[in-house]
Amino acid sequence: MTAHLQHELESLKKSLLSLSAQVEKNVRQATKAFTEGDTQQATEVIESDRTVDAQEVVLEEECLKILALHQPVAIDLRFIIAVLKINNDLERIGDLAVNIAEAAARRTDQSPLPEGFDLVPVADRAQKMLALSMDSLVNMDTKVAREVCAADDEVDAEKRRISRLVVATIKEDPTNLDLLIQILLVARHIERIADLATNIAEDTIYMVDGDIVRHHDEPSD
Amino acid sequence: MVRALKRRPLLWQLFPPFLLVILLSLVLVTGYSGRSVRHFSLDKTAADLAAQGHLLVDRLVEPVRTGDRTAVQELCRRLGEVSGNRVTVILPSGEVIGDSREDPAHMDNHAGRPEIRTAYAGGIGRSTRYSHTLNQRMLYVALPLAELSGGRAVLRTSVSVSDLDDALRSVYVGTALAGVLVLLLATALSYWLSRRISSPLVALREGAERFARGELQHSLPAPDSKEIGELADVMTEMAHQLDDRLQTVVGQRNELEAVLAGMVEGVLAVDLDMRLRSINRAGAALLESDQHSIIGMSVYEVIRNADLLQLIDNAFACDDPIATDIVLHGAQERLLQVQATTLQGQGGERVGSLLVLHDVTRLRRLERVRQDFVANVSHELRTPITTIKGFVETLLDDPPDAAEGRQRFLRIIAEHADRLDAIINDLLCLSSIEQDAKQARIELASTVLRPILTAALESCAPRAASRDIGMELDCRETLRADVNARLLEQAVVNLLDNAIKYSSDGGQVNVFARRVDGRIHVSIQDDGCGIASEHLPRLWERFYRVDKARSRRLGGTGLGLAIVKHIAQAHGGNVDVESEPGIGSTFSIYLPG
Repeated sequence: MTAHLQHELESLKKSLLSLSAQVEKNVRQATKAFTEGDTQQATEVIESDRTVDAQEVVLEEECLKILALHQPVAIDLRFIIAVLKINNDLERIGDLAVNIAEAAARRTDQSPLPEGFDLVPVADRAQKMLALSMDSLVNMDTKVAREVCAADDEVDAEKRRISRLVVATIKEDPTNLDLLIQILLVARHIERIADLATNIAEDTIYMVDGDIVRHHDEPSD
Repeated sequence: MVRALKRRPLLWQLFPPFLLVILLSLVLVTGYSGRSVRHFSLDKTAADLAAQGHLLVDRLVEPVRTGDRTAVQELCRRLGEVSGNRVTVILPSGEVIGDSREDPAHMDNHAGRPEIRTAYAGGIGRSTRYSHTLNQRMLYVALPLAELSGGRAVLRTSVSVSDLDDALRSVYVGTALAGVLVLLLATALSYWLSRRISSPLVALREGAERFARGELQHSLPAPDSKEIGELADVMTEMAHQLDDRLQTVVGQRNELEAVLAGMVEGVLAVDLDMRLRSINRAGAALLESDQHSIIGMSVYEVIRNADLLQLIDNAFACDDPIATDIVLHGAQERLLQVQATTLQGQGGERVGSLLVLHDVTRLRRLERVRQDFVANVSHELRTPITTIKGFVETLLDDPPDAAEGRQRFLRIIAEHADRLDAIINDLLCLSSIEQDAKQARIELASTVLRPILTAALESCAPRAASRDIGMELDCRETLRADVNARLLEQAVVNLLDNAIKYSSDGGQVNVFARRVDGRIHVSIQDDGCGIASEHLPRLWERFYRVDKARSRRLGGTGLGLAIVKHIAQAHGGNVDVESEPGIGSTFSIYLPG
């Protein structure tokens, strides 16, 4: 019975990692599509979100099945709860990637983003946070998870900087209004992705230590 | 474990049967010989008694016949004293009338005694019995004495056999003592024997344990006995053969590992449980993981790249090798060509998949550079030609009336012809440097560097002066290097030209030449607009332009830096650039000192 449960948990972890790999790829591709104005890649992201959604449903069913059949306790129970939550977070990240891709599809020209609105560094950082949060889950490493939580502030700060810059630019010269609003939206999506990556890291801490670290020492944003 | 507990040492297997056999034979021999001796001496004593009886008969016949009981008693007592035996005379009625040891009046009727009954019948009776009269074991011999009216009178002679029994008992006691001695002896013997048999076996066991520890070169000691000796020889032979095979296997494995470790391609084996079975150094480097810590982990944990995971899934789904291109997003984006093949076990069954990761990032970049080059060359050449063609056609078809207009057209044509010329010159120069370098035709001579640098500065001085840009040279008089003076001057001129072009009016350009760590370092530093970091890696490519419009306006061919790079490479050196937008750039040439 226990061996069977372990096998199920192993396979659950596999599915989760497979989902996260797909989501990581989508986020990367979506931001690339936006910064480079590549509508082809944007379409791919929007297409592949369907598999992400399907995987999410399968994972959730798996979790519920294990809960019902094996009635796990302690770390196993926490693991399944963490998987349920991370699964949800990943699906949300996938949706945000689709939002970014849609913004990319709306861009008509392939010109580089105007000076000061370079979204690449902040997008890279958010992706890195997502990757690290999954790393922390894989290695059960709460130290890395806490680093991810700490890195969220930087992404928030960068997003605020871009918002202020967009507002200032619009006030000054509203000719590029459409693009600027897209940039604002995408920056917000990226910031949300970073937030969800933080959630994943927090769920990892919960899973390993049984500590709920949410709403502690968080800046009142 | 249970079996091990039941095992007994050899000593305990040898000792009990030994002891049993020895004791049994001892008991049998003692018993048999005791009986024989006893029989023999009893027969002999009985014969003696019978003979004595016959002698006594004559003396006793007379008194018995007469019935003189006193005389018989007297005679019996006397004869008994003389012979040392007991002499008894019994009437046919069984009444005792004379006895040498007892008073006949007190004695029982003897008619029922077996020896007496035999004698009544006329034979010689014999019996061994415990005598209650004398409280001793006695041998009785009876013979007929005289024919009386009521039957036969009987003479009985008897002697004590207790002595004989005593003698035999002492023999038995002695035998028992000998038995104890034999017990000790048998113990010692079986101990010695078991040790003798088992000590070579113990040596064999120790040898086998050394084999098990891997000391296969060890030879087993040769014991005396043939059977064990042969066993030892066979075991030694077996160990040596095992050793040879192990050596071969280890050798092959090391070879394979060396090949894998030395490979540029990443190789990883995945088993059916999707766990990483092995990975070589290049593979671990591509995945940016530690080679030893990730072995045994699930590929989902290690790889985390959706495309690569998909490929592994596909590889498991089909038996044919598959290949595809995959982008890895690590610290640096890498383009990999991945081939997946089936990993087969001994019986040809599938035990996993083997992935070969080939990093084609550089290859693809070179391909792109080549494609870009062709596109760029055509583009660069076409621009002036189109312009020239356009103006020439205009002049031919519809020449402007004013000489001034024609003049302007022709000036533009000349300008673009110059440009064309410059591009072609640069291309030729580039290809000749490349060719010469390839065929090692570039002559290098130990030269003082300062005059070369001074000449380069002088040739650029008018342009610098026209834009009020200051130039300074920092180079020691004695600094020498193996260079081709003409080429080095051209390289420095190209770099100076760039520095002046991209500096703002009134800027400053400095040229340094010094020896650093055994290499000559020539650097040209400007305080111009600088270059964004994403352009730096491709800056040295032919026709690569940071800002296409601006470069062309400033009259560049797009080949200047490529020429510098080739010149440096022809000298066996290399080039480098550091730049920060808004602060300035430093272009460096490193030459072997």
